[in-house]
Amino acid sequence: MKEKALLKGNIAIATAALNCGCNCYFGYPITPQTEIGEFLSVEMQNRNLGFVCAESEIAAINMALGAASTGAKVMTSSSSCAVALMQESLSYAASDELPIVLINVMRAGPGQGYIYSSQGDYNQATIGGGNGDYKTIVLSPSSVQECYDMTQKAFYLAQKYRNPVILLVEGLLGQMAEPVILNENPYPEIDNSSWKLDGAKNRPSRKIHSLEPNQIKLCNHIQDLFKKYKTIEQNETDWEEYCCDDADILITAFGAYARNTKAVCDYFRKKGIKVGLFRPKTLYPFPSKRLATISKNVHFIIDIEMNCGQMEKDVALATLGSVPIWNITKPVGDILSPETLIKKIEDIIEQEEKKYANNI
Amino acid sequence: MNKNFIISGSGGQGILSIGSILANIFMLEDLFVTYCTCYGAEMRGGAVNCEINVSDKEINSLKNEKTDFLIALNQASLNKFTSKVKEGGTIIANSSLAKIEKIRNDVKYIFAPLSEEAAKLGNIKMTNSIALGILGKISGNINIEKIKEGYKKILQNKTELIEKNIEAFMLGFNYVQEGK
Amino acid sequence: MQTIFSTPKSIKENSTFTFCPGCDHGVAIKLVAQVIDELNLQEETIAVASSGCSVFLYDSLDVDCIESPHGRACAVATGIKRAHKAQGNNKFVFTYQGDGDFASIGLGESLHSALRGENITAICINNTNYGMTGGQLGPTTAMGQITTTSQSGRNKEYHGFPIKTAEHIALCEGSSFSARVALYDIKNIINAKKQIKKAFEYQQKGLGFSFVEILSSCPTNWKLSPKDSHKKIQEELSKIYPLGIFKDVENE
Repeated sequence: MKEKALLKGNIAIATAALNCGCNCYFGYPITPQTEIGEFLSVEMQNRNLGFVCAESEIAAINMALGAASTGAKVMTSSSSCAVALMQESLSYAASDELPIVLINVMRAGPGQGYIYSSQGDYNQATIGGGNGDYKTIVLSPSSVQECYDMTQKAFYLAQKYRNPVILLVEGLLGQMAEPVILNENPYPEIDNSSWKLDGAKNRPSRKIHSLEPNQIKLCNHIQDLFKKYKTIEQNETDWEEYCCDDADILITAFGAYARNTKAVCDYFRKKGIKVGLFRPKTLYPFPSKRLATISKNVHFIIDIEMNCGQMEKDVALATLGSVPIWNITKPVGDILSPETLIKKIEDIIEQEEKKYANNI
Repeated sequence: MNKNFIISGSGGQGILSIGSILANIFMLEDLFVTYCTCYGAEMRGGAVNCEINVSDKEINSLKNEKTDFLIALNQASLNKFTSKVKEGGTIIANSSLAKIEKIRNDVKYIFAPLSEEAAKLGNIKMTNSIALGILGKISGNINIEKIKEGYKKILQNKTELIEKNIEAFMLGFNYVQEGK
Repeated sequence: MQTIFSTPKSIKENSTFTFCPGCDHGVAIKLVAQVIDELNLQEETIAVASSGCSVFLYDSLDVDCIESPHGRACAVATGIKRAHKAQGNNKFVFTYQGDGDFASIGLGESLHSALRGENITAICINNTNYGMTGGQLGPTTAMGQITTTSQSGRNKEYHGFPIKTAEHIALCEGSSFSARVALYDIKNIINAKKQIKKAFEYQQKGLGFSFVEILSSCPTNWKLSPKDSHKKIQEELSKIYPLGIFKDVENE
């Protein structure tokens, strides 16, 4: 049997990174993700790998940028307000097509906010805070096991598509421990010999740059990036469906906060009310097509988020106004308990029934 | 089966150690378990607490409004978490550091002078393990067979320390039996 | 026939500099290329270009090169050096930055790389203004100097004081070498090359962060002829920013 360990989300991420060959980490402390750097500071030094306590998050992401250009498997981690500091270099990495894995263990904002758990960076991650036309792949785990598995996947996707990948984790999940099966890295190694910078020996020199004064070349470059994003959308979109097949009411939620909505589904199913959960596992690419198909047969959608409703617009875009969308949101603090959610949903059902009655 | 535990006290009392040991024991039983600890500035002033959820099914209720069992190793944590205990739930309180006062009549109280008992054992740091032993007895959810393995997960190869802690655990375990 | 001059091997064939007439960037890049040739580093080098005029290094220098976000060249170079080390390689890594890049927006990254003793080399072209954007006041603009954002001259009330970069780097315990050179005449050009070579060699020896600040002309933004620009460096700037070696761990 494979090794099982009780790990915090943060440690699961760091362990997975090591297990799939991450050889460089650069970071700066910020709660609630500091354990990642603390753990790796020991493990990477023991293995003679690249580790720097960077002087700032800006330095950390730029060290990652440089390291990625050598073909190394690079990771940095931070939290919300400090991930904001990294956005410029994420834009560079996207344009330079450099594989960087960025872990954002979210705290509550805006501004400095506080260390409470939140999902406030959905927009920051999926739309991006950097300049220009670019996309970052965004993975959203809902358990510590998924933190582990998706970290390995993040490295794979980053290398495969030469693109930054963000693992978007709530502070709750980063700090929570669960049993984790320490799977071996299931993904193949990606050949990077055609582009990495390791000295122009027996080949022409290479340059990695985003600056492009020639407007035709710049235009082509960006269009090529978007062709790549199209491929990513076709190949990598991922989601989970829970009791969706015959659902009349569909809950949309992501990350750890989607967990409690499963208990809600179970509760309503027992009462004969068909509630299902649709959980995107990739926030970019967002599983719009599948959501559109499922929502054809539902009466309404309830979007549940620990922010002020950031994913809701993607749900709305996917369903194009074909179903009413309600939301239950809370920007910060303890996860909404199943009991609270049930009460709120019963309230929504009542209002929908009234609406329905009035229409007759 | 679905049970919730809160363990609380102050820094240095080994709250997170026994929390982690308890969670590991459940894991060794192949149960589903979530283990949440307080973190960062939440711990300012020295208060420490953690919450453990165990179930035979996938855990889809990450934060519970109520808990089945509370271990409170000092007065402040007893005050803070008493209201979170379910009706019919159990409070294990360290009467060495908390007043014996049953402010609720719908829960079961076990007051024990844990720090004093630990001192008698020769090490006040064993307070937490005695408390865990009491919990082990009354919750009925802890497999005694797995105790040693659970301690090993945290204390690794510190054999002597493991033995001492298990001695403390058993003292707690038998404490209730003796009807004290 | 004896060859008495040829383009360095590390300069790309048919490359043309796009710098303004009289700008010292071309000379500086040529010196860097010559040193790379002499130390046989072309196949081992990864250069980090920055934002500003200095970025065009990669159009002419025939080595692997990455462009860095503005000011972050030393952080990017740190990542490259460390990542190669983690993969069991020892590569030669240097940054080529302007003074705005190195000593203003990137001062944090620059100083911390020096403090860590990061085994990289930084070349900083100091032309006392932001050249690419049209000559604004920068971290090295001299007191009294007129720029488009200090039109009556730099004064301490409005703008405060400029930074003496090479002296600051010398103060960092992790730096192995810090020098300021100029390019206004042949003697100085030869000396500049010597110091660049030393800085590169110190990296090869693993001695830590090595640094060369090059006082350079910016005729376009200074609104002077190339000749008068060099005269300005010789007579004014090298008095404010003295030439010399401020740290040399092998000569202490």
